[in-house]
Amino acid sequence: MSGIPPAALDDARVARWARQLLVPGLGEQAQLRLAGARVRVVGADAVAAPALLYLVQAGVGKLWVDDPETVAPVDAGSWLYTGAEVGRPRAEAAAEALARLSGLVSVEPYPTGGVPTATLVAAPSPAQAVHAAEAARRAGAPHVVVEADGDGGAIVTVPPGAPCYNCARSSGAGRPPLPGAAALAALAATELVLLIASPGTVPGRRFDVVRGVATVRPTVRLPGCACGAAPTAA
Amino acid sequence: MTTSAVVDLRRFACPLTYVKTRIALERLAEGEQLEIWLAPGEPVESVPRSAAEDGHRVVSVERLAAPADGFRVLLEKGASAPGGLP
Repeated sequence: MSGIPPAALDDARVARWARQLLVPGLGEQAQLRLAGARVRVVGADAVAAPALLYLVQAGVGKLWVDDPETVAPVDAGSWLYTGAEVGRPRAEAAAEALARLSGLVSVEPYPTGGVPTATLVAAPSPAQAVHAAEAARRAGAPHVVVEADGDGGAIVTVPPGAPCYNCARSSGAGRPPLPGAAALAALAATELVLLIASPGTVPGRRFDVVRGVATVRPTVRLPGCACGAAPTAA
Repeated sequence: MTTSAVVDLRRFACPLTYVKTRIALERLAEGEQLEIWLAPGEPVESVPRSAAEDGHRVVSVERLAAPADGFRVLLEKGASAPGGLP
């Protein structure tokens, strides 16, 4: 996998992403934007696993897996780990599993100081989610945050300039995630793909998924939130 | 109107026939024309229909001159289709 995205899609890339290239609004330029993206995914547990798989198959150029924990027995039933990885660093095990899926995508543990162009947050705690989302917002990077809650939960989509995650997040922590949260993570990855591939077309919004049914509404900025302040010169 | 690009797709099958047509159309400006060559059967039945559904104009569909086998389809690029989730 080279670090420089191609200027046009070659036959191998067209064949690999043929179905995705037919999605309305996507196309060659959109796929090239994905190939040029550096995506940081915060979290690599059972909830995040479907999102990581989706992002690799969608063809993001570089995928950084950011998770300081080790693979736990509960992770063994996820979409990413076989059980043989229990005890290994999650970021390392996830990167290895994902790298085997595509020679067109570079997957690595998140490097200290890495500057992503987009972020997906599937952190295990609300505090970690707020911290990671705020870092992405301050960097001007589009991001999507997953809030698992049992078999459902919510995702918050934050393109640059939209109300921040803190304006739209749930209060408190959700119930422990169940297998249905996989759909939530896949939806979050779809949102991030659209943010990268078709910038300017996806508004700030929040999806709530309850018993498999998703509802969506625009996000609204909380009065006085710092995300509404004009950017200051560095 | 002159044709801006010609693409021979007779050796490809679905979905690559329309994927490559779509990419070739994406590289043109609105109103420019693309000539594609398609194999008989499913390709020539499906690709013009898909192009029309995407908002492009099917200018003509005609057989290639013998001994070539296949069809010449002339498309005019329309406005880009909207994207994203609702």
